[in-house]
Amino acid sequence: MNKKLILLILTIICLAGCADKELKVPLEDVGLLGILAFDYIDEDSYKLSAAMPQFLPEAKENTQIFSVTTDFVSKGIVEIETVSDKKVVLNQLRVVVFNEEFARNGDVQKVIRHLYRNAEVGNKVLVAIVKENGEEILKESYPDKPSINLYLNDLLQPSINTAFMPNTNIHDFVYTQTNPVFDTIVPLLEKQEGKIEIDGVALFKKDNMIEELLPREGLIIQALLGEKNLAPLNLTLDKGEEKEELMIDLIKNKVKMKSNKSIESPKLFINLKMEGTLIEYKGYREDELTTLASITKLEKDIDEQIEKDIEELLEDLKELKVDPVGLTENFRMYYKGNWDREMTEKIISKLEVDIKVTTRINSTGTLD
Amino acid sequence: MNVDKRKQLNGYHVVFLIQNIMIGTGMLSLPQDLSSMGYSLALYPLLFGVVASLNLWPMIWICSQYKNENIFGINEKLLGKWIGKSFNLFIVVHLTFFIAGIIDDYMNLIQTTALPEQSTTIPILFFLVVAIYIVNGGIKSIARFCMMAFFLTLPLLYFLRWAIEKGDLSHLLPLFNFNKSEAFEAFRKGYLSILGYELIMVYFPYIANQKKAYKHALIGVWISIILCFVVTTVSVMYYSEWQLEHVTYSVLHLFKAGELTYIERIDIIGITIWVFLVLTTITGYLWCAKKGIDSFRSKKKISHVYVITIAIYIILSMPFSKEVKEKIFEAAFQTSYLMLCWPIFLIVVHLLRKKQVQS
Repeated sequence: MNKKLILLILTIICLAGCADKELKVPLEDVGLLGILAFDYIDEDSYKLSAAMPQFLPEAKENTQIFSVTTDFVSKGIVEIETVSDKKVVLNQLRVVVFNEEFARNGDVQKVIRHLYRNAEVGNKVLVAIVKENGEEILKESYPDKPSINLYLNDLLQPSINTAFMPNTNIHDFVYTQTNPVFDTIVPLLEKQEGKIEIDGVALFKKDNMIEELLPREGLIIQALLGEKNLAPLNLTLDKGEEKEELMIDLIKNKVKMKSNKSIESPKLFINLKMEGTLIEYKGYREDELTTLASITKLEKDIDEQIEKDIEELLEDLKELKVDPVGLTENFRMYYKGNWDREMTEKIISKLEVDIKVTTRINSTGTLD
Repeated sequence: MNVDKRKQLNGYHVVFLIQNIMIGTGMLSLPQDLSSMGYSLALYPLLFGVVASLNLWPMIWICSQYKNENIFGINEKLLGKWIGKSFNLFIVVHLTFFIAGIIDDYMNLIQTTALPEQSTTIPILFFLVVAIYIVNGGIKSIARFCMMAFFLTLPLLYFLRWAIEKGDLSHLLPLFNFNKSEAFEAFRKGYLSILGYELIMVYFPYIANQKKAYKHALIGVWISIILCFVVTTVSVMYYSEWQLEHVTYSVLHLFKAGELTYIERIDIIGITIWVFLVLTTITGYLWCAKKGIDSFRSKKKISHVYVITIAIYIILSMPFSKEVKEKIFEAAFQTSYLMLCWPIFLIVVHLLRKKQVQS
């Protein structure tokens, strides 16, 4: 028995010699693309730019940027390989950016699906839209940042401090694109002198971007989506004699939605509960805000203002027939049969909402 | 010490044999197989569980009538030597193709995700060698390996955490939103994923406490079913209907949702640990195929395992096109339904020929 086993193992070992020598690329020769940028040229072609970190200390720049014109992602990558000194792989891809023109006219979905299908690419690749030109964002010098790869990735990472953040990775993108009750929202970036700014939210309808939302509106969408960690909320109350401005740091956010389950005359009850700290206030009530009674009154005014803001936003969305919040999910839950995009548009155009916001200010700091 | 050398499986062994052989590569693509049901697929594994529990009963009943015979022996006794033997041979061939199908499936997965730049010849060889090693230890060593595999792979459930956090529970509603043809389609495609419990007909004579075998087998079946249920529910929460239908190996994509700062690709860990689950399935079937040849040639020989393994390797390395291969394996998988219904047929024959056989 033992002899047979040894014989078997020996044969296997010897047979391994018959296999073709596999070509393994050493780690130093692998170029890990960190960012891909797509710029619209025309219907069939686009400009693909890629950023690859450069490790050699001799090199002057720490990032190599390549740009090619192509109509296929993989074809573009192969073309980049011909000008690069390294084997190009997508394993460390972190950010994909499209320019606004591409988002409005190009086939964003096809590019994202290509990346989603690729087993090399992780799911944590973030998607963003840039105003004007994606290539320029990569080529711009950011003297105080280590490299564009790290900078852009960190900028898009969800953090409580970055104003509002509809952080969208490729899974989210494909998910919201293919789910009929959702419309995709993606952060919108703008290049400025030596820095990149998150400028708003790009709102998609079906496959293409149709509208740009303000950061405030993005925040409201985030709140309605039930996101737990929200950016500080900046409010302007113009009820009463004078304008007031205040800033609330939100600690807790809870949203409850209830629909009347009717497809014909859809009505939705939204109950939003927020809790936060009043960090700054400017207005005529400044000296009064020491008693609990006055704070309660302020809370009420804030409630009304937020309710009004949400109503306005929903009215806009209703006109565009888009649903980035997934409000129609509350109707789909109770509908037997196939739910498609037309149903969502039908519901959203007829939707009536009843919003109730309850804000609670926990503290106003330690100064009285 | 066991009085009878053959009675070596205790209750735990039975539970884990049943449980772990059921879970193989099928579970990885279960959400996709069931996708014709849309979001309602989440509850479907529970139906599978009920069907499997009902299906187990005739198997155990017929085996308990012939306490010292496995399914191959029962075939010969009930159907006569020649019909019985030829049917046994058919089962062995079926099992061989079935095993080849599972290995092919898993190797495809390895190829597309973990080793895109390598051919799978060497991995298949190593895989088969390990399988032979386990099978040579007998059914008890397989059972022990199943236990180990269960506890090694259970932590993978933790990786579903992020998908649950991100997912939307409202996808589960409305319940039962499907029609008959969709449900039938899903059943046909998906039920194959939970095959494996029928092997109890082969190792039944080795079970020490045969009276409680049904109970133990049921526990095993329902552990698997609950795991499947968890996987389908989380998938439904995390994916859109389109994704359920189009994402292959969606369970791996669930792991991809994970965010650990020190591990970039959790899905790779998932696939590689999955090898334990595939190995248990393979070894279980391999052992049964070996038993089939044993009874066909009426003698026990260790070389039978090698014969089957070599046959599997040849099937896997045949220069067929992928389409032909897929068709062969699909046929092998579908034949399993015959195996599931077989004991019912045997019961009928048993009732008719009871006196003849016993005399």
